[in-house]
Amino acid sequence: MSDTTPQASGARILVIDDGITMRLYYRTVLEAAGFTVEEATNGVEGYEKAVAQSYDLLIVDINMPKMDGYSLLRAIRSEAAIRSVPAVTVSTEAGPDDATRAFQSGANFYLVKPVAPQALTELARLMAGGRS
Amino acid sequence: MTTPLLLRFVAEARELLQAAASGLLALEKSPDDETIINTVFRSVHTLKGSVGLFDFPAFAKLVHAGEDVLSAVRGGQLSLTSEMVDLLLDMLDRVAAWIDDIESDGTLGPGADGLSHEMTADLRSLLPIPAGPAPAPDSAPGVAAASIDWVPDLPEADRLDAFRAWGTGAPLVAIEYEPAEDCFFSGEDPVNLLRQIPGLHGLEIRPREPWPDSASLDPYRCVLRLRALASTSAETVESVFRYVIEQTRLGDVPPHLLIRPAGAPNGGLALDDFLDEADALVEAGEWERLRRAVAALTELTSPALFAASSLRWLAAVLALPSPEPAWAKALIASLATGQAQPVPPRGTAAISADAAPPPVHGSAEAPAAPLPASSPAGGAAARLTPLARDILAAQRTILTLDLDPDAFTLRLPSVAHTVSNVLGGTVRQIDLESWDDAVESARAQANPGPMLAVLAHLLDGPDDTVHRAAAIDTGLAAQGELRTTGGPRVLKVDQAKVDALMTLIGELVVSKNSLPFLARRAESVHGSREMAREIKDLFAVIDRLAQEMQAAIMAVRMLPVSEVLDRFPRLVRDVARKLGKRVSLVIEGEDTAADKNIIEVLGDPLLHIIRNALDHGIELPDDRVTASKAPEATVLIRAFQESDQVIIEVRDDGRGIDPDKIRKAAVTKGLIDAEQAERMSDQQAVNLVFLPGFSTAAQVSDLSGRGVGMDVVVTAVERTGGTVSLTSVKGQGTTARLSLPLSMAVTRVMMVEAGGGMLFGIPMDHIAETVRIHRSQVRRFKQSEAFVLRDTIVPLLRLDRLLGIAPPAWFGDDDQEDSVLVVRVGNAVTGLVVDHFREGMDIILKPFEGILSGIPGYAGTALLGDGRVLLVLNLKELL
Repeated sequence: MSDTTPQASGARILVIDDGITMRLYYRTVLEAAGFTVEEATNGVEGYEKAVAQSYDLLIVDINMPKMDGYSLLRAIRSEAAIRSVPAVTVSTEAGPDDATRAFQSGANFYLVKPVAPQALTELARLMAGGRS
Repeated sequence: MTTPLLLRFVAEARELLQAAASGLLALEKSPDDETIINTVFRSVHTLKGSVGLFDFPAFAKLVHAGEDVLSAVRGGQLSLTSEMVDLLLDMLDRVAAWIDDIESDGTLGPGADGLSHEMTADLRSLLPIPAGPAPAPDSAPGVAAASIDWVPDLPEADRLDAFRAWGTGAPLVAIEYEPAEDCFFSGEDPVNLLRQIPGLHGLEIRPREPWPDSASLDPYRCVLRLRALASTSAETVESVFRYVIEQTRLGDVPPHLLIRPAGAPNGGLALDDFLDEADALVEAGEWERLRRAVAALTELTSPALFAASSLRWLAAVLALPSPEPAWAKALIASLATGQAQPVPPRGTAAISADAAPPPVHGSAEAPAAPLPASSPAGGAAARLTPLARDILAAQRTILTLDLDPDAFTLRLPSVAHTVSNVLGGTVRQIDLESWDDAVESARAQANPGPMLAVLAHLLDGPDDTVHRAAAIDTGLAAQGELRTTGGPRVLKVDQAKVDALMTLIGELVVSKNSLPFLARRAESVHGSREMAREIKDLFAVIDRLAQEMQAAIMAVRMLPVSEVLDRFPRLVRDVARKLGKRVSLVIEGEDTAADKNIIEVLGDPLLHIIRNALDHGIELPDDRVTASKAPEATVLIRAFQESDQVIIEVRDDGRGIDPDKIRKAAVTKGLIDAEQAERMSDQQAVNLVFLPGFSTAAQVSDLSGRGVGMDVVVTAVERTGGTVSLTSVKGQGTTARLSLPLSMAVTRVMMVEAGGGMLFGIPMDHIAETVRIHRSQVRRFKQSEAFVLRDTIVPLLRLDRLLGIAPPAWFGDDDQEDSVLVVRVGNAVTGLVVDHFREGMDIILKPFEGILSGIPGYAGTALLGDGRVLLVLNLKELL
């Protein structure tokens, strides 16, 4: 990118979404902005990856097979080692209850699909920081 | 324009659609299976999420509606009905068609908005209505109201008929019928269906959207809208349309709408005298005098004129048992002015059933809340970007959630981290330090107070507390390389390239066969046995490599038969429902693979066989119970590989084929005579259905019996070099068996010599056996010859005569035996006399091109290992 914001480079983001198109979208946008992106296709895989490695931001889809986003976040927040990782949920609904549920289960922010590329990049820069 | 993301979306959407469709079908059988409901829901849900990345509003809207219905089903607010499944499947079909459109030209086809709107309304009408405006009452439950504004545009004669019928007390209903686009494939005949309505008057058939140009016109897609008037009750119409009720809309027609005179404006009689007194006659109710006057004037007026039309209508109004004065007056006014005057509704015009457009059902789309993430970034006035503010505000919200101390401990670290990250680098160090302090004391107190204070300061405080976040430049890097992750990489290759490879390897296989010739020459001509051995060794290596290569390339072209079988669960379900039969379809071996060409040819024959089974084979549930069978019939499609053939069996447990009926039908149709029928075995009788022009149906049914019989199936399958057989046990069911070659690329032929050393190839599929018969065994009947082969008389033909080449000087072998190739073409067995049998071999058949292509009797040519060209015969044409 033209204005290489130094804090963005190298930050690692884990995208947990069962939609293959969505994953490709996240990867394309975020890698273009200098992030390192890894993927998980469901909650269980996401949990395993999040526990095994350190990430600077989790992007979590709500509706997923095996383990949904809410359960995943609850599980992550109860692991002391990864409790502090900022997490964003992405859902297709825009109801006020969804936000509350997301916050209660452990999200720090929530997005509603579709997420514009600019918004996604900015969000990642803000939330993932770069001091890893 | 297609981007990698769009391509990914297309592929994913297809998978999701397939998953959703099979889930729906499974759900119909076990409606309470939560796992399936969740799968279906999630498929549609994911699809909705993905489509949001692109600008396809019609697509998104429709999928959203489908998701809402599924969500209601999942939540237990709705219980799943077959109608609902129909609508949802329609939705999936529509979306699948759009996916095709997107793949081919990046847009949804024309009319997408309208379609989406309509289908969305249909789907939403299923939803439990949230306190909103109730839809206007329909003419009948379950049938949407038709708009009737087209009624006055029908031809006058139709309207007059309808009006007169109404005058005698018949009901009047307007019908709008939009057949499903694929209706031709499910055997529907929309016009014929409409014709079955008693008392049909006007019939108007128009395309729903303007016809595309002839190049892109798909004649198999029904895009018609049929409209008609009928003097019959809505119930009758509903009963005729009961299987397509969702494609039908009915509307009450107020009779005054029918009255609209039309015609050439000028000329004709001077009507002044009549007009002078007509109004007075109406006022006085002197109908009889008026009638006579109108009748006389009608006689004298040229029928094409506007005046004549007005008079006809006037006569029709006056012919009513109690003529409506307002209508008569309006028509008299029309006569006077030469222009159609508005005709008021009947009586006091209180019941104004106006031609309002049909109500849109429960459009309960919640107004979308402003999305926190979509606000534009980098507002110049703000110190923090709006998104940063939103994120900080969200952390405040989290901290103010009613969390117990334990939960607070769990949540605090990520909130602290998030805020630090947001502030990091963009804010003065002092803010960051104050935040860290606040986190520490909040942790100590187990109370978010200090953190909230800092957040309040950041969010609500004066602007200069926080520095402006760096302007953010974002966007998809156009040049960014897309890296796919996980799974095997898939290449999309043009089929022509694979075909070219196939041809090349075919030629390699054939030309490597010339090496043994070379080895022989090395030995016999050059006298080098050493060299011959080396060549043979080399040949073994090349032979193995070529074979492996051929197998590898064949594998590329192989597709699982599920490519064609996947559509049948849906088809069987729909057709069975339409026929009122209960059928469970079992598919086995859908992973069996065959060459792409074979798979492509397979679809239509299978479709036909399955339709036949459903239509003729399987009995109605009651009949099955009477025959002490389970009410639900089973159709089994079984695919498996048997040596180098793919076998596909379609087995039903229906009533089977009655050989006697077939015999009788064949005699009636003059296909065989009574004596032949007598002699025939039951199996032979069953095989009669393969004869062209034979239809098994006792009466032509709507579904399969369209004069297209099993002969079409046979033709299609034989074109691939396959065969069809039919076995049936009366009362127990029928099995149709398609045997297909694995690949059409390689043909196995037997070489024969005829005409004195000329080589010909005969496809192995046709060859039943080879025999040598003694001259004395040949019987002559005038010009023809025959011989007896195991109690059967087999006609004998000489290949060299058939081909018009000179017979060899020496006729037959010295021992006076003829080499006879017994071939089977269709059901006929024929003996072909050739000079010599030669070996069988695999060849790559090349059809004749150019001026040679018209020559009958030859299938094409193949190159032999020694460079000679082999002519391959087409026995079907030859015999």
